[in-house]
Amino acid sequence: MSRRRVVVTGLGMISPLGTTAPECWSALLGGRAAVATTPDSWRRYAEPTSTVWAPLPPIDWAARGIGRIEQMQLDPCGMLAITAAAEALDDAGLAAEPADPRKHTFRLPHAPAERCGVFMGTGVGGISSFFGNVANHLLAPLRPGTDSRPAGADHEPLPPMPARFSPYAVPAMMPNAVSALLGIRWSLGGPNLTFAQACAAGTVAVGHAFRSVASGAVDVALCGGAEYLGDPYGGMFRGFDVARTLAAAGDDPRRANRPFDRDRTGFLFAEGGAAVLVCEEADAARRRGARAYAEVVGYAENFDGYSIMAMAPSGDRIAAMVAAAIGDAGCTADDVSYLNAHGTGTAVNDEIESAVIERLFGRRPLVAATKSLTGHCIGAGGGIEAAVTALSLFHQTTHACHNLEHPIRDLRFAREPGPCTIDTALTQSFAFGGHNAAVVMRRVG
Amino acid sequence: MSDDGIKDRVTATIMEVLKVAADEVGDDRRIKEDLGSDSLDAVTLVMALEDEFGGSIDDADAKGLATVGDVVRYIHRRVAEKSLA
Repeated sequence: MSRRRVVVTGLGMISPLGTTAPECWSALLGGRAAVATTPDSWRRYAEPTSTVWAPLPPIDWAARGIGRIEQMQLDPCGMLAITAAAEALDDAGLAAEPADPRKHTFRLPHAPAERCGVFMGTGVGGISSFFGNVANHLLAPLRPGTDSRPAGADHEPLPPMPARFSPYAVPAMMPNAVSALLGIRWSLGGPNLTFAQACAAGTVAVGHAFRSVASGAVDVALCGGAEYLGDPYGGMFRGFDVARTLAAAGDDPRRANRPFDRDRTGFLFAEGGAAVLVCEEADAARRRGARAYAEVVGYAENFDGYSIMAMAPSGDRIAAMVAAAIGDAGCTADDVSYLNAHGTGTAVNDEIESAVIERLFGRRPLVAATKSLTGHCIGAGGGIEAAVTALSLFHQTTHACHNLEHPIRDLRFAREPGPCTIDTALTQSFAFGGHNAAVVMRRVG
Repeated sequence: MSDDGIKDRVTATIMEVLKVAADEVGDDRRIKEDLGSDSLDAVTLVMALEDEFGGSIDDADAKGLATVGDVVRYIHRRVAEKSLA
């Protein structure tokens, strides 16, 4: 069966830069980066090396359709996914109608439920809620008669602990809630998958959504990623910090996050984010008069098979994966005019990634590092960067690589935001574990 | 806080959790049998009442609350004891 064409017709996004896709896009173009000092309370447990992060802006969940009861039931990761998906569906003109008011669910009248799939990525799903419930479990007063310690040995618990161990602890924590919540919310009965390839999860999810629409398995796919890492105890931050992966605040925290720069020190930990893209079969999208941001034309993935935390120094597997993605798109490296890099800002990653880009593409494509502005949203990053790539194609405009003053390699980095000609674009991600993935998109019209 | 204020907040919380209409939350209505609350709804209602009134409600206490009136009387007593906000 010949491959069907796939277009992106809707976008939703929440990141440290804003609570909607237009807000995030505007901040990207304006170079308004997100960075702040980490909460003081996180330093009660340990003295981390890094003291900066990219917090989310305040989100009025109730105004986004998630009321008090659902806020008690869902992890912020799931709420981010639902909020981005609602924006994406609305943006695609796929107006949902109520299905079951009691369950607060909807249905899409445009397509049969079994022909609609959900493909979402996440690194750690609802880990923030799980930290809270574990804190409740471990730090609650001991049951009478079970404390054999001498009187007075007990101590006041330090962390802000939830009042109860939630009956929703498991559904809030399980990573597959990220895609399941969207399938339930919008009554989608097709394939429903959560991908857990850490920092590449969102890219893998978009790639598999593309393949499913292209093959005819589904007609509509919600895809992207969601992540929430801001647990009240700073546990996730500490995990990355002790692994020596995070950006040091330095003299000026605003300059801490600097992918591909000589003076980079690590990645800027983001509190979280989500991006959802609506992918549709192109003819059906055209028939219903949908606007297409971009056409998705290729995808590839492979695995380093080298280290659980470090990229293989040769970059050979990444180069092979990128070449395969370009081949899948039916084009050559010379056709790629925009490359949304993984660009984390860690010493080793940027070195290897920039070498691979130079080897495959030379100075031809414009190279943008979205994480230089958003911080690293882990499992949401690939979704956010796919959305940014689609927006860059649609508007024929790029954002700049923030804080890039002394590039480590002679590539055509986007140094200023502004208009540019982009016909074919590639967005790539690499993950802890060794997962590599890239999506290729093309300008429509 | 007047008695009516407490009753209104309790019934509003029950309506919010169980998605039932105002005319369905009379004092004698049974939360499980008449209002269709399942076991997860029941714990959600306890969480929502804790959020609404502050403090915590023991699971043992919660199990004894069968009707809307039971909940109103229980919250009323706890507020009078100043063991809820």
